[in-house]
Amino acid sequence: MIESVLETLSYPPIQRALAACLLCGASCALLSVFVVLMRMPLIGVSMSHAAFAGAVLGMLMGVNPFLSGFILCLLAAAVLGPLSDRADMAPENILGIMFSFLMGVAFLGIGILTRSKAQALSLMWGSLLTLSNADLVVLAVVTVLLAVFIVLFFKEIRAVLFNRRLAASSGVPESLIYYTLLFFTGAVISSNLATVGGLLIFALLVQPGAVAMQLTYNLKSFFWISAAAGVVACLAGLGASYIFDIPSGAAVVLAATLLFALAFVFSPKRRVARRKRNIP
Amino acid sequence: MTDQALILNHVFLQKNKSTLLADINLRIGSNEFVGIIGPNGAGKTTLLNVIAGFEKFTGELYLFGKAMTGRRSQKARLTIGYVPQLTPIDPGFPILAGQAVMTGAVGQAGLFRKPGKDVELEAMHLMEMMRIAHLVDRPVGHLSGGERQKVLLARAILQHPDVLLLDEPTANLDIAVQKEVLNLIDEIYEKRSLTILLVTHDFNMLPVHLRRVVLLKEGRIFFDGDATVGLSGSMLSRLFQYRLETFERGGRRFVSYD
Repeated sequence: MIESVLETLSYPPIQRALAACLLCGASCALLSVFVVLMRMPLIGVSMSHAAFAGAVLGMLMGVNPFLSGFILCLLAAAVLGPLSDRADMAPENILGIMFSFLMGVAFLGIGILTRSKAQALSLMWGSLLTLSNADLVVLAVVTVLLAVFIVLFFKEIRAVLFNRRLAASSGVPESLIYYTLLFFTGAVISSNLATVGGLLIFALLVQPGAVAMQLTYNLKSFFWISAAAGVVACLAGLGASYIFDIPSGAAVVLAATLLFALAFVFSPKRRVARRKRNIP
Repeated sequence: MTDQALILNHVFLQKNKSTLLADINLRIGSNEFVGIIGPNGAGKTTLLNVIAGFEKFTGELYLFGKAMTGRRSQKARLTIGYVPQLTPIDPGFPILAGQAVMTGAVGQAGLFRKPGKDVELEAMHLMEMMRIAHLVDRPVGHLSGGERQKVLLARAILQHPDVLLLDEPTANLDIAVQKEVLNLIDEIYEKRSLTILLVTHDFNMLPVHLRRVVLLKEGRIFFDGDATVGLSGSMLSRLFQYRLETFERGGRRFVSYD
């Protein structure tokens, strides 16, 4: 059994898949801290569909799918950022329209595509075993840059997460932090299209942060727990996919959901809240 | 430093073809305590938002003689402290009361620099002044409404503002806590020599040091002057289009209505 696992691990595509799992889990999970604490899951889902639509359009036009996905993601961020800041319209409605429009564009692209429909479809749920070294390098660079951004601007990030308006009023470059985050959302999503795909990535943009939300009041620990949950979900999903011969993307999402269920059931924060409610 | 903390000349603000502020002209002296009062939709919060830099406007705004337009105004705005109305917060949100107060020092410290130990000590001192020092390690989401407002007050004061904008800081608080917060605002005014603009709806719960009121109606200044005149029954009745009467008890003025 061990020999068989070691032999499997010696294959370069498997090694690349493992490395991609680690990077995908970490990058999505770090981003999910912002998605959860800034309550912007709809922005996450809209941008993941923008990346998917962009990648499909890229295939149609013979452009690198990562690049076209990234560009459409940034365009979506440029529209979504100011829209979500406007108080005179319900952002949920705009995001709903944006989300369905981008899905329409993506499926139109797939319909028109005369060749390699399978490649386009793989962008929906990823294809860990067909990753190239270039895919991995892009993912690694994006993950490292996101981690550096969080470390360098941690105190500003904390102020913005607490209250964007208060942060702006006390001289924190709130817009810069917010728009950099949207930029990273685009970069992380488009660089992960090849690993978990445009549909399933949404789970990794929400669930690791939601796991951390159940376990800590400390923002630093929040980032660590979220990253660990993302990596564990990805590795467990990949392992389950190998052992039970099931699709890896779906297994990753189910593993992330299981982690959230465990965190929810054993949440010390919920226990404290329950105790408080029981005090007469 | 000029003795005029704020000067607003012909300030207009329009959104979606409706006028939120129309020809606002105000001169607010250094160390003045001014109440901004008016019915719902009169433009009170919008006026504070313009001064705080949250809204784009036309006209002129000067803070201690410096024009508040363009990018250069951002640094000057560091001298404006802002306390919003009480808003809900997720009980599980990962920030402790002490950390929330410290966010007031982030802008002053600048990028890539941590606020020093002296700032941490000052934050603790402010929390003691607000009587919330024992809550320093409590998650903000677990605090009561009054405790949260005190955290926001301490946070704003840690910023060392010359002008403090208070947007209904006692809204949604019970009477005893309202009084406690207002006493703290009076104490801050006495000790820190700040210019304070306070938006409020409650005429019976006003800080002792409030001497001047600006009454707003439909985005325009309806009255600007002495609080005893501005808060008279006849003036308030005209402002709210509703019969209001004032009476005095124990040296304090109260407003009643039918």
